[in-house]
Amino acid sequence: MTAITTFRPPTTGTSAAARAVGVGKTYGVGDAAVHALDDVTVAMDAGRFTAIMGPSGSGKSTLLHVLAGLDRPTSGEVYVGDTEITGLKDRDLTLLRRDSIGFVFQSFNLLPTLTAAENIVLPIRIAGRKPDAAWVQSIVETVGLTERLHHLPAQLSGGQQQRVAAARALASRPQVVFADEPTGALDSTSGAELLAFLQGAVRNGGQTVVMVTHDPVAASYADRVLFLTDGRIVDEMSDPTADAVFDYMKNLGA
Amino acid sequence: MFTATLRGMLAHKLRLLLTTASIALGVAFLAGTLMLTDTMHAAFSQLMGGVSSGTDTVVRQESAFTSVSGAGTAHASLPESVLEQVRQVDGVAVAEGAVSGYALLLDTGGKAVLASGGAPTMGYSMTADAALRGDVQVRSGRAPSGPGEVAIDASSAADHSIALGSEIGILFRGPSETFTVVGTVGYGGQDDLGGTTSAYFDAPTAQRVLGAPGSFNEVVVRSNGELSDTALSERIAAVLPAGTEAVTGAAVAKEASDAFDESFSIVGAMFAVFAAIALFVGSFIIWNTFTMIVTQRSREIALLRAVGATRRQVLRNLLGEAALLGFGASAIGVVLGAGVATGLTALIHALGFSLPSTSLQVLPRTVVVSLVVGTVVTVVAALVPARRATKVLPVEALRDAAPGAAAPSRLRAAVGGVLAVGGAAALATGLTGEVAWASVALGLAAVLVAVITLAPIAARPLARVIGAPLGLRGMPGQLARDNAMRNPRRTASTATALMIGLSLVVGMSVFASSLKASFEPSLETATSADLFLMGASLQTDGFSQEAARRAADVPGVATVSAMGWGQARFDGVDTSFSSVDPATLEQVVDLNLTSGSATTLGDDGVLVTTDTAAQHGWTVGSPIPAEFAATGASVLQVRGIYESNALVDGYLISAATHEANLPNRLDSTVLIALDDGADLAQTKGDIATALAGQPDAKVLTPKQFAAEGAGFVDSLLAFMTIMLLLAVVIALLGIVNTLALSVHERTRELGLLRAVGMTTRQVRAMVRWESVIIAVLGGAAGAALGLGFGTALTQAAKSGNMITAIDVPYLQVGIYLLLAVGAGVLAAVAPARSASRVDVLRAVVTD
Repeated sequence: MTAITTFRPPTTGTSAAARAVGVGKTYGVGDAAVHALDDVTVAMDAGRFTAIMGPSGSGKSTLLHVLAGLDRPTSGEVYVGDTEITGLKDRDLTLLRRDSIGFVFQSFNLLPTLTAAENIVLPIRIAGRKPDAAWVQSIVETVGLTERLHHLPAQLSGGQQQRVAAARALASRPQVVFADEPTGALDSTSGAELLAFLQGAVRNGGQTVVMVTHDPVAASYADRVLFLTDGRIVDEMSDPTADAVFDYMKNLGA
Repeated sequence: MFTATLRGMLAHKLRLLLTTASIALGVAFLAGTLMLTDTMHAAFSQLMGGVSSGTDTVVRQESAFTSVSGAGTAHASLPESVLEQVRQVDGVAVAEGAVSGYALLLDTGGKAVLASGGAPTMGYSMTADAALRGDVQVRSGRAPSGPGEVAIDASSAADHSIALGSEIGILFRGPSETFTVVGTVGYGGQDDLGGTTSAYFDAPTAQRVLGAPGSFNEVVVRSNGELSDTALSERIAAVLPAGTEAVTGAAVAKEASDAFDESFSIVGAMFAVFAAIALFVGSFIIWNTFTMIVTQRSREIALLRAVGATRRQVLRNLLGEAALLGFGASAIGVVLGAGVATGLTALIHALGFSLPSTSLQVLPRTVVVSLVVGTVVTVVAALVPARRATKVLPVEALRDAAPGAAAPSRLRAAVGGVLAVGGAAALATGLTGEVAWASVALGLAAVLVAVITLAPIAARPLARVIGAPLGLRGMPGQLARDNAMRNPRRTASTATALMIGLSLVVGMSVFASSLKASFEPSLETATSADLFLMGASLQTDGFSQEAARRAADVPGVATVSAMGWGQARFDGVDTSFSSVDPATLEQVVDLNLTSGSATTLGDDGVLVTTDTAAQHGWTVGSPIPAEFAATGASVLQVRGIYESNALVDGYLISAATHEANLPNRLDSTVLIALDDGADLAQTKGDIATALAGQPDAKVLTPKQFAAEGAGFVDSLLAFMTIMLLLAVVIALLGIVNTLALSVHERTRELGLLRAVGMTTRQVRAMVRWESVIIAVLGGAAGAALGLGFGTALTQAAKSGNMITAIDVPYLQVGIYLLLAVGAGVLAAVAPARSASRVDVLRAVVTD
């Protein structure tokens, strides 16, 4: 992949693209209550690639969903940039997701009726804006999809579909991109390509990416890894290697 | 395996509800129709049975056949001498002469008391013996006695505030007279005889004003109780002169209720047609539902197949589900049918028809027929999707891919194409030259089936075109269009349901509009009359001949030519005839005689149309066997052959021949030509003044005369449109069903859209636009098809005389299309709401 030189980091007042302050998330009530998140306070640094890891049921996906405005915390506050999103109405939250947040899910990222190109500019079109053609073109080239732009998702491989999703996440120049197990359904080669692309967007373009994963190799692409257990952040690691993460996870009992 | 079936059905409540509703509504209409007809039959039989319950035997002239409609009585009158003969018979307790005939009540203000909905206005003699009256009982006051007294039915008295002691005018075939109301009459629990207005006189008065002195219409007999009615009738018959018969009162009651059944059977058949349309439209929804059930369950079915279920078992399972659904929905439909029957009764009343009432009749036959029809329709509609389910390969259980829509087959295109071309050819053949109705009907049917067959192929390109303007509405618009094009089969069958209903509505509108537009020009061609007299209500059989006599005396009137009508059997076929005035007919009606003359009709002649003459090879002088109810078989001679037109058609006989063979003739239309130089408005005013005492007739200009006909067409059209709306409503339920299922299928897509920033408002708009595309597709196709059908039918009818030009009501069709759009928006409300409430997380998280 070619280097990304045209990324411009969004200018924000703080160094955190998203942060959680004392966030709790409880499902159910009384004896049946499950605490998915327990008083989590964490900041996702702008311009960095953060990975969130933890065993199944540790609350890592819940944290991502809460930070991304897809789910509401039971207690605490969540900020995207300077905006406190915990109290936002659904409509405002939706507009924030549309304009300031990019998403890559594990699967089913694309609308089957739209071509790859149409999927990439979907949030911009939903907003009723005209996409910046040169910008979109540069992303498309970077993810290597120029040849497949006018194909429907069903005609693309899993890896290609995830790269389209990543291109879409970046197309609207969001404040932060959230990726939920983006390589979970990919083979290792396709996964590596996608991760390299996300890493490039951060290193060369100054983007902010937050990714949930259970794969130590995927986590090794990040600048920083947060470890979650039982809804709490128990540790973190900077400039991780796959081996270090793997060993740490083993100790966590994952 | 059946437990799985039940659980599957209950798992999707909305789908179950909508599919059930679409079947239940059609079945409800069917059941309601049956209940209505049975109830009417029971009510009328009860009423007639009650009226004749005091009469054991009726003596009357034999009738060649029972006439069910038309002015005039079916039985000739009896001489008074018969009464004495009957009284001598052993076993007769009481015998009295009875007379009936045309009598129109006026209220105290001199306005006509018109009978509702096709019922006659009658006068009767009231028997002196109270027991002979049966259920015809004096409600208040007393029975009439003497030349100036009358008792009237309770309905007329109440509705027109005619109090006891009032002086009211009554019109007869002869001069009108004034009477004092001394009593009101009820009929068991009813206030009138199925809408008929009735005036009762004592026998001598009735003879004078209704019939002829010295004769009766019949002799009614009460037995002394020693003999059965049948035995008494036989004993009486033995002493009667030839041509006179004695029948039991029960038999006469049955004749009356049979006649009612026969005339009501047309209404019943019409309702049945609407029920069939509703069921047909409903079957498309069933088809859709089962297609979706099969699609959604393909993995489950594949799993069943993988663990060893045979294709037959899968098929049986699905058809069992269809049968269960159909049976349950039909049962609901039967219950709803009671409501439909009540609603239809109200509708009939609202249209001005008075029907006798009784408790709602729900016969076992109604329940069985409704359940069987509903279940069979459901199973048949589910057959194709169920068969498709059997083709699911076991390996598909292992695949995750969402089942895509199969491309429309070439066979479908071929079959549809052949049907379309064949249908068009049949239509063209049928409409060229002599109209071949069978060919036209076949052509229309073939075209309809072709359109339904080709719809899945045409749906995608059409949705693209219809949705094109939505591209301007941003992403939600574009996605709506994509979604509508996505499963063309489903879009097609949903739209087809709407198309069928709308095409019928539009087709009828075109026909009715052309008919209305043709009244005036075709009337102008047919007659040179300056003014017309017609009945005060369109639904009466006619009006007193007194009106024509009075109009003739008005200064400025040159010619008065009266026309009447009745029923008889000509050349072995029951048909209606017109009776005319031979002396004046040709002065006001353009007969275009190819041979013969109307003036030579006399009392044994008949004019026939060129078509009839050609068909039978008749020429002037040919004898035609004719049979009248009152006088039996005779032979009439062809005296002329004429071109039928908007005013005259069929067999024409002279008024004298009519009167001689079917007593109590009334006028139905009177044509009036004015002197040269007479002022039209002035003369019209003078005639109206002359008719002041004859409110059963009114005077009209040709334009007004045509407008009366148009008004009648309008009310019929309104009635049919209301009936067809049911089919449209079912079609809308189908759109709701399709949208709800689509939303359910696309939960993940909706979640994704919401995650990447689509607002709930945009989601709702997306579903709404998809609905509008389907509705416009169905609406536009329906309008186009309806315009085609209407034009073809109108073209075919142009060979007759009623329609001269095709008139397309574009404004009306435009309004229907707008309504279709509105309906689409309405149908989308609930599905759009559920789409906007999709749980974003559940949709995007892979579990």
